[in-house]
Amino acid sequence: MGTRTNGFFPVIFLTLIVFISVAALTLTDAITKDKIELAKEDEIARMLITLFPQMDGFTYDEQNDLYIPLAEQQPLGHAFMAEQSGYSGVISILVGLEPDTTLRGIRIIFQQETPGLGAKIVESFFLQQFPGLAVDDIKLTKEGGKVDAITGATTSSSAVVEGVRKAILDKLNQLGRET
Amino acid sequence: MHSFTKNFLRGIIRSNPTFILLLGLCPTLAVSTSLDNAVGMSVAFTCVLLASNIIISLIRNHVPVRVRIPVFIVIIATLVTIVDLMLQGFIPALSKSLGMYIPLIVVNCIILGRAEAFASKNSTTNSIADALGIGIGFAWAMILISLIRQLLGTGKLDLFGRHLFTVPGLGDNPVAIFLLPMGAFFVIGVLLALFRWMGVSTGE
Repeated sequence: MGTRTNGFFPVIFLTLIVFISVAALTLTDAITKDKIELAKEDEIARMLITLFPQMDGFTYDEQNDLYIPLAEQQPLGHAFMAEQSGYSGVISILVGLEPDTTLRGIRIIFQQETPGLGAKIVESFFLQQFPGLAVDDIKLTKEGGKVDAITGATTSSSAVVEGVRKAILDKLNQLGRET
Repeated sequence: MHSFTKNFLRGIIRSNPTFILLLGLCPTLAVSTSLDNAVGMSVAFTCVLLASNIIISLIRNHVPVRVRIPVFIVIIATLVTIVDLMLQGFIPALSKSLGMYIPLIVVNCIILGRAEAFASKNSTTNSIADALGIGIGFAWAMILISLIRQLLGTGKLDLFGRHLFTVPGLGDNPVAIFLLPMGAFFVIGVLLALFRWMGVSTGE
């Protein structure tokens, strides 16, 4: 341990350490920034293609925050992100709509639900309930909708369902269309 | 070389951070739900601990005593952020699965504990030995706990997306409670009792 413990030396030392730390972080950020963006885009593209298997590309409408999957330059529908707090942390969901705004399907992009319980929202037996549902049917069965909750994970199931329904309503409102 | 081996071996059993020192239990309990998480967390943790021990042992003769804790924390936080960004950029799948627990390594008391108790008082070589030993000690504890929790809680064993085997009789009807926080306490409590019964103690 240093012996110069009085006066300004400790302050100067700590300031120096912080400056070095800031430099190191700036450097790391510069190296990883593009990679991180790319990884996120990749994930969305990978999920989009499972919703719209015939797509050969997509564009991003920045103004409305919409992903538009394309096949031979023709739009196949819309997709956008929905977020809702689940049992632990935020669940990010990619929602896909047909051109006539019926639900094409959903994919979970990010979740931290309990493994073995809530984390089952990513499995196909749960997700396959969504395609074709009308907005009013996107509720759990016990609330009059058509989606069966996962046993032991009502909170997670409900978060997905609510997140999707709200996101669709918001997006349709924003785009000024009728349901 | 003798002290290198001694410092290396100490962290694995006699000063095991999880089972003997009972440090850093919060991330241990929270992340040990699957073998993937345990391996990922152990690797990230050991990288941060190794780098932090090296840096702190190198500057140990210059750090003013009165600001040593803030200095250690700034160094550890910087290292953790670097690891976090690197994981997000280069291994996004692992970063997704560890989620918020990577940033939480900053407040993992094992790392600050080793900085304060060991690296700030010992040579760089010995600090490297200490970091590797503690890292391995943390890793096998994490892997053991997560193995038990995953086997009982999901009834099967998967490692990085590959299905290894299904426990007969548990596969369709797993004891999901072991994946919940209380299951973690059951497992670690039983393991602690077992190690005490076997006579493993600090000896320090």
